[in-house]
Amino acid sequence: MVVESFESFFEWLPGALFVFFILAVTGIVLGVFVGYIVATFRHGPFEAFYVVAQVIAGALPDFLYTSPRRIGAIARLSIKEALRRRVVIVTLIVFLLSLLFGSWFMDFNIDHPDRVWVSSLLWETQLLILLMVVLISSFSLPEDIKNKTIYTVVTKPVRSTEIVVGRTVGFVLLGTALLALMGLLSFFSVWRGLSHTHLVVGDSQTIAELVPIDPDSRLNRRGKRVSDGAIREGETSVEMGHRHPLELVEDIRDPSGPQPLNLSNVVRKYTRDDGKVVYERLICMPVGGHTHEVTIRGEGPHANIELGPAAGYFRARVPLYAADLYFYDAAGDLTRSGIDVGREWRYRGFIDGGMSTQAGVTLSRGVFDFKNFDPAQFGDAPVVNMELNLAVFRTYVADIQKRVMASIQFESIPANPDFDAKYQADLIVFETKEYAIQTLPIPRTLRGRKIAPDGTVLEQGDYHLFEHYGQGGQIRLVLRCEDRNQYIGVARGDVYFRLTDDLYGWNFFKGYVGLWTQMVVVVAFGVAFSTFLSAPLTIVAVLIAILIGFVTPFIRELTNPEASGGGPIESFYRVVTQKNMEVPLDANLLTALMKQTDYFLVQGLNSLTYIAPSFPEMDYSDYLVYGFSISPHRLATTLFVCAGFVIGLSVFGYFCLKTREIAKA
Amino acid sequence: MAAVKERAQVTGVRKLEQTNPDYNPDVVIETQNLSKTYRDFWGRPKVLALKSLDLEVRKGEVFGLLGPNGSGKSTTIKLLLGLLFPTSGRALVFGKEATEVSKNERIGYLPEESYLYRYLTAEETLDFYGRLFDMPAKVRKERSAHLIDKVGLNWAKRRQLREYSKGMVRRIGLAQALINNPDLILLDEPTSGLDPIGTREMKDMILDLKREGKTVVMCSHLLADVQDVCDRIAILYQGELKELGRVDSLLKVSGETQIRFQGVPESAYDELKQLIEKHGGQVVALDNPKTTLEDLFLTIVRESQERPGHRGAGARTSG
Repeated sequence: MVVESFESFFEWLPGALFVFFILAVTGIVLGVFVGYIVATFRHGPFEAFYVVAQVIAGALPDFLYTSPRRIGAIARLSIKEALRRRVVIVTLIVFLLSLLFGSWFMDFNIDHPDRVWVSSLLWETQLLILLMVVLISSFSLPEDIKNKTIYTVVTKPVRSTEIVVGRTVGFVLLGTALLALMGLLSFFSVWRGLSHTHLVVGDSQTIAELVPIDPDSRLNRRGKRVSDGAIREGETSVEMGHRHPLELVEDIRDPSGPQPLNLSNVVRKYTRDDGKVVYERLICMPVGGHTHEVTIRGEGPHANIELGPAAGYFRARVPLYAADLYFYDAAGDLTRSGIDVGREWRYRGFIDGGMSTQAGVTLSRGVFDFKNFDPAQFGDAPVVNMELNLAVFRTYVADIQKRVMASIQFESIPANPDFDAKYQADLIVFETKEYAIQTLPIPRTLRGRKIAPDGTVLEQGDYHLFEHYGQGGQIRLVLRCEDRNQYIGVARGDVYFRLTDDLYGWNFFKGYVGLWTQMVVVVAFGVAFSTFLSAPLTIVAVLIAILIGFVTPFIRELTNPEASGGGPIESFYRVVTQKNMEVPLDANLLTALMKQTDYFLVQGLNSLTYIAPSFPEMDYSDYLVYGFSISPHRLATTLFVCAGFVIGLSVFGYFCLKTREIAKA
Repeated sequence: MAAVKERAQVTGVRKLEQTNPDYNPDVVIETQNLSKTYRDFWGRPKVLALKSLDLEVRKGEVFGLLGPNGSGKSTTIKLLLGLLFPTSGRALVFGKEATEVSKNERIGYLPEESYLYRYLTAEETLDFYGRLFDMPAKVRKERSAHLIDKVGLNWAKRRQLREYSKGMVRRIGLAQALINNPDLILLDEPTSGLDPIGTREMKDMILDLKREGKTVVMCSHLLADVQDVCDRIAILYQGELKELGRVDSLLKVSGETQIRFQGVPESAYDELKQLIEKHGGQVVALDNPKTTLEDLFLTIVRESQERPGHRGAGARTSG
């Protein structure tokens, strides 16, 4: 999953409040100016002052005397009106039909069907709920005005604030109820749809069904290579389009070392002649992103095998990301972004494994500095899980079966590197898995050394991950590529410690809060635009706002001053003259003119991004699909953005309604 | 609760008197040079709907706005309610600008077509409008029950308004206009769409409101209705005020005298004529007075209700 923002809510808030303040002031100035121009046309320039002042002065009592009871009445009316329109019921029926028959088209024989299912349900829910609120919010006020039913409302002591807020609250409540229902139905349908178990292939559900593995070929009955230490194999029945290989694996342990905590899948335990303890464990091999817990009942060849429910589908990983990531190049010089291999440049930096034609070892590495490395966050597990999602760039194919090797190394971060010694662990070398999250279980004690600031090794031994390497709540991880002529790509979000998982149901709820914020903003847009536009125009305006919201990240990227190739005019000029994006243009009047024009165009384009919030940033689908917990900081940020837009749009809608002649034909 | 509200209203009036020295509590509505021009999309004047209207409506009177279609009656009402903004001039209601929301606390409005939410029942309708006046649940309930009873819709109070006849909708429309026990009631064509019985009941209710001390402003082009209930009228034509005054004095035919008497035989008519001519007068008409068609219709309906069954044609005249 691509993670680009690591800012906490409290780091984000001051800047966001400043932007909100600037936007509010700009909005007020612009509103007063436009209001004055319109009033000038209607009443002349002198009376226009009085009219504008009257509207502004009237706003304060309208906000102060807003009545919750009146808001409640209008909200109730809005709900009844929306239900009468039958849009809600049609939305629900469409959703239920897709839920009932959608699973017919699901392929359960793929990797992580849960991801596909959750992703498609979220997409469908988002589409339906946004479409529904666009319709109900865009039609409400214009229809009320068209039917003149609003005459009996505005001739009561009802303030424009109450109409705008009441309508918004009503539609939000209705949308919330529908979203909650859709969320619950989605959750239980996916949960039930994916819950299954298997039987062991054979007449008896016992160990006797497992057959010995040919020690020479090391292949199972399907011709696939078995794990190291596997001595017997079997397979499960086909359920939901897949079967799992079963492997009886020898887990050899030193009697003085740590023993396995889970013994439920141990078929036999014995001590070898060399004194090592051997646990024969039956493992259900993962298929499609899940496995099944194996429980052995009884002893000997007639011990019964029981397979539990699917495990591994619904995860909510809580990652501890590095506070900083920086790279060193082959010469050992510090860089911020790693090596550019020509793709995903801005997201991932690459580390080279050294050139086979060059002597010596490359000093290229990626360094991750972690903060808040607190043992309390990891629970009582004997190992700390580290997860990596690495990209690999091969300069030659070599043995395609062989994976590129990488290593990680932990170091302490001394408070004063010039005076304090540091702990450095031995390298942990591993095979990289491309396009997949791989887990490295890190023992809580690691072999390493204590090094003085001048590089002298003071002592060697086993040191504790938290007390020594992670002293002061900080730890450094150094990532290297161990294969020559190959590259490993990494971003800050690709390497993290996995803390105790969040509850999946809770994470699912948070994911729907993201959808909810999008819905609330769309309702606010609908109500605000409907105060001065007709229903069809309101729908068009809201759809444009949604479109801007969805392409906001793209516009920001496009208007990034650091983007190569310049603005639209300069880019066009480069296309026509066939100039490379990176080649600087000649410093002359034409270039200056182009750049200045581009500046204004880009600023204009960039100002569009403040019209609507970035919808992709309010969308947590990726978190649910890839099994990551949605952080409270991210949630709080989204809720604040949503609140900011709702407040801004409601104030805008209030002034539009207040200055509108309701009975004007 | 009603007493509390009344006190609050009195306090509100007093506050107004204190803050607005020009406010005369006896003048409920005042327009000064009030004009309205409708413009097109580009702001060009399209229709001059109201020209420099100067008007005063006093507390406790039933005031009628008369005029043919397009004369500016409804525009005046809409300007008084703040549904339209004046192009020039002022409209004051209870001494406040017509665009001020707080004035609506003391106003009841029945629009021309009773623009109500047709998917609500009568009870829900009145409850909704009661909420808009910030009335507590108990007061809303009592007031709704009283008004539904008053407009005679008890039997249909749980039916959606879309099932109502036009007359029933007008009645519930009037009930919603009275939900806040207003001091000023603005009625736009109150008898439109009503049958003669409904019309009579509406007029009776207007007179009841007058007796309760309420101020009623109604606009209509049904002259008989206006004549029956209004104390004063204003006649508008093409947005201009053409006549303003008390109904009785406006309709008084100067120079003619009407005498009504009973028990005198037709043979005495000549003697009466001679007496009038002796005093220099001229007899314009001397015959039996005629009842109105409305009275005749209502009498027949009343009698039919009292004595169901076939009623012979011309029974009244022959009897």
